[in-house]
Amino acid sequence: MYRVVLASRKTVEWIGLLIVAFLFVFPFLWMASTAFKTMPEVRQFPPTLLPETWEWSNFAQAWESGPFLMYTWNSILVAVGILILQFLTAVPAAYAFARYKFPGRNLLFGLVLIVLMIPGQVIFLPIYVQLSGWGLVNTLWSLILPYAASAFGIFLLRQAFMQVPDEVIEAARLDNASEWKIMWTIMVPMAKPVLVTFGLFSFIYHWNDYFWPLIMTNSDEVRTLPIGISSLHMSDGGTLWNVMMAGNMILILPILVIFFVAQRHIIKAFIYQSK
Amino acid sequence: MFSMKKTGTILCALTIGLSGVLAGCGSSGKEQSASTGSTSQPAASTASSGPVEIDFWYALGGVRGKTIEDMVKKFNEIHKDIIVKPAYQGAYQENHSKVLASVAAGNNPDVTMVEIASIAAFADAKVLEDLTPYSQGDEKKYIPGLMKNSYWNDKLYAVPFNRSTPLLYINRDMLKEAGLDSNGPKTWDELVSFSQKLSKKEGDKITRYGFSTPVDIWFYEALVFQGGGNILSENGKELTINNEAGKAPLELWSKMVKEGIMKNPPGENYNAWDVAEQDFLNQKVGMIFTSTGSLTELKKNAKFDMGAAFLPANKTSGTPTGGANLVMLAKSTDAEKKAAWEFMKWMTDTEQTVPWSIASGYMPVTTEAIDSAEMKAFYEKEPNFKVAVDQLQYGYPRPMAPGYKELQDVIQKELQRAMLGQATVDEAMQAATEKGSKLLKK
Amino acid sequence: MRKAATVQELPGVSQSKTEVRPSAFTWSELASRLRPYLYLAPALICFVLFFFYPIGSIIYLSFQDWSLINLEQMEWVGLQNYQDLMQDGDFHQVLGNTAVFTFATVGIGLTLSFLLALWLNKKAKVYGIIQATVFSPHIISLVSVSMLWMWLMDPQFGLLNAALEAVGLPAYTWLTDPKSSLLSLIIVSIWKGVGYNTLIFIAGLQSIPSDIYEAAALDQSPWWRTLRRITIPMLSPTIFFLLIINTISSFQAFDTIAIMTQGGPINSTNMLVYYIYEQGMDFYNGGIASAASVILLILVGILTALHFLVMSKRVHYR
Repeated sequence: MYRVVLASRKTVEWIGLLIVAFLFVFPFLWMASTAFKTMPEVRQFPPTLLPETWEWSNFAQAWESGPFLMYTWNSILVAVGILILQFLTAVPAAYAFARYKFPGRNLLFGLVLIVLMIPGQVIFLPIYVQLSGWGLVNTLWSLILPYAASAFGIFLLRQAFMQVPDEVIEAARLDNASEWKIMWTIMVPMAKPVLVTFGLFSFIYHWNDYFWPLIMTNSDEVRTLPIGISSLHMSDGGTLWNVMMAGNMILILPILVIFFVAQRHIIKAFIYQSK
Repeated sequence: MFSMKKTGTILCALTIGLSGVLAGCGSSGKEQSASTGSTSQPAASTASSGPVEIDFWYALGGVRGKTIEDMVKKFNEIHKDIIVKPAYQGAYQENHSKVLASVAAGNNPDVTMVEIASIAAFADAKVLEDLTPYSQGDEKKYIPGLMKNSYWNDKLYAVPFNRSTPLLYINRDMLKEAGLDSNGPKTWDELVSFSQKLSKKEGDKITRYGFSTPVDIWFYEALVFQGGGNILSENGKELTINNEAGKAPLELWSKMVKEGIMKNPPGENYNAWDVAEQDFLNQKVGMIFTSTGSLTELKKNAKFDMGAAFLPANKTSGTPTGGANLVMLAKSTDAEKKAAWEFMKWMTDTEQTVPWSIASGYMPVTTEAIDSAEMKAFYEKEPNFKVAVDQLQYGYPRPMAPGYKELQDVIQKELQRAMLGQATVDEAMQAATEKGSKLLKK
Repeated sequence: MRKAATVQELPGVSQSKTEVRPSAFTWSELASRLRPYLYLAPALICFVLFFFYPIGSIIYLSFQDWSLINLEQMEWVGLQNYQDLMQDGDFHQVLGNTAVFTFATVGIGLTLSFLLALWLNKKAKVYGIIQATVFSPHIISLVSVSMLWMWLMDPQFGLLNAALEAVGLPAYTWLTDPKSSLLSLIIVSIWKGVGYNTLIFIAGLQSIPSDIYEAAALDQSPWWRTLRRITIPMLSPTIFFLLIINTISSFQAFDTIAIMTQGGPINSTNMLVYYIYEQGMDFYNGGIASAASVILLILVGILTALHFLVMSKRVHYR
């Protein structure tokens, strides 16, 4: 009797798990399926589960509907550019917070925490005004510079640097290594896992970002992929859902691949935020 | 790139000042200053070495966008001294914001399409170049009925490019089957009675509607004109829709929706247009309002005998014109402006406007084009394409007021509120008028 | 995606610091005193330029009548912009929408995540896979998520309505009716965010020492009492953290609105950030947009302060 209850509970749980998985996987599968359909099939009601004819040309049509190579390149430039700058600004700052005592430290660290909590979306308007005054609106700089320093990065790295044992640093100091050298050649390599974690977080965030490029850019030369993809929506003669879904596949595939390869790191990156 | 532009502008302005040529006095002065700028100033590199590059923004996607790209390509092949770089900026509304943003940012295009009701806003903000010195009377080639949205404070700021009127599209097969006149309804009363006959019910469910139109400001304007009304007062300072002519369209539409003979297509902005057109193509509705600019696409996809007709009349016939004009931006350098005018002139010439009209369904914009043998032969074969041109005799300009972009948003929201029963017609018009008068005073 | 963290570590001082010993003045001494500031300078300059200065400037701009198109023309209007906002029915609706959206996404989203976490917090591999699956929408661009759901919710050809009709239910209006549009956006937001919250909850659950549970098991305390007496109190920092950052991120909803509804139908999904965008970049009412930004800033500021306050207390009492 007890065993039967146990077994049936198990089945119920498995069904539950399958339903949950379905809710989160199926929409993506549906995106993929739509991306391969012909337009008449897209408009078929009730819809077909799998494409009757596989229309690979949807991808080409999406890709050719704008300078997508340029968008992709810009997306990469922006995400990588931000990452490099954030790395260069965060390492010394985190080192200073983690390893020195100096007047005003707590105050300055409090400021970093405020930056951490308040999202840039709230103050996009004055930043736009400022960048436009410098003539930087509609350049890649307008997408990169506002993110050049990451409070989150400083916060994470500071924690990592604090965990480096003192003996390591003392030993290096005895070797007459300069502080600068200690920071880059000893501390940074020891914080590698955190750096990877932060790098993934930052890259994904900026690869996906729609708001900032929407506000700051108005020409193809500096637009990024999310903007290009979102403009697939506007076409006359009915929304071309198949082409739109194909375009979105292009946008999300790199991220999904990264996710599958570095799943553990990514999940850690996001959990880190709460620690 | 834009910093080049900026320094270019400053240098040009300096040379104009130094050489003692009075700016803006006339076309000869203009020409001269432009050439001074280009020959004596090596810093204005775009002008002196190689061809002039100008940016052109357009606001039509899909097939029509492709056609525009092809036209630009052709222009660039013919004109070795000018390179036009086209860029799609989204639909009219989005294009409007992008142009203003780019002016603020200093990377504005040199030529752009602008929806005709936005001309006032742009001209009033002083972002447009007065075209009078460039055109020198050349604007007389355009159809006069299409020029009413081109002037602001008596200065010419725009030339017509892709111009339209709304049309009543009808499914002739469906009308014939129902025993109705296949030329479509001529009056509002007929629109109602036709729709009643075309609508079908299966049990409680309506399977076919006689009529559908997006509850859009453009069609609303048309129906107000048909009632002898106007959206704005003569001086453009007051909203004049809180009256019989202003309420009649809403009353008609809500009555038809309640009766189940008109479908209010869901969706924001142009999404609703898409839904109406798709329903029409799928024969789920028998008649729709949409732009003549959709003619080619709809004709290609309709699997039935499709007709286009004048909008049904109420007290009178009336229609706004629509679509977009081409404008030149004031911030460009003289060399760019010269090239820009060259491009604008070419794009709207008879030789281009005829194939453009045939490819899209938009009206040809020159009088010469209407009378051309090619157009006449085409109208012979495709009479639907001529309906908009003929309807122009009842055409009105769209309201010209700097705040109309926001105002039309306000009106449209109130219209939808009334259509969805969130407000009575009277309440909606009252609310729109209150908000509108505040906007127009700004 | 959120950029936030708790301040757990705020008063924590690491074991070793380079002590700056008082001694006679030397150049190298000065250099070492200045060093931390030099190291901090690049980051702090960025924060000043792109955070603190803009905050000051938005407050200033909110007292001006101005537009992006002509920045030279500014006119001091005092509190006029705020008064206009207070009297504007649309803005009231925007605030209301933002509040409803926030309460619903945070409330329903966190409840679901909590239940999922309790269920999925197990060792077997399949639970890890499901966790990753539930999490996956979180790393996808909101652009794709919005377009995907727009397609699923399409009134004519969408899968959701096809499914409803297949089981004999009437088609739903989803995004097309002001009565259901906000709910539709809430569903999308929950779908995207639930995985992240679940993972954080699981991390929190795993940090609860197992001996406490063992003690409860010895007492033969029923599961619901364990939940109420142990799990929820022990999780309270996590719950609080998630409450705050989910609320802040709900306040900034933009992408879904811009892509799926543009604030419509009839303003029914217009929320604060979108409203600011519309006023500032579309209608060129810079003053109104700035005033609305300041109001948003105050709301977020209050939440942040609350966060700091509670967190520093918690550290204090531990």
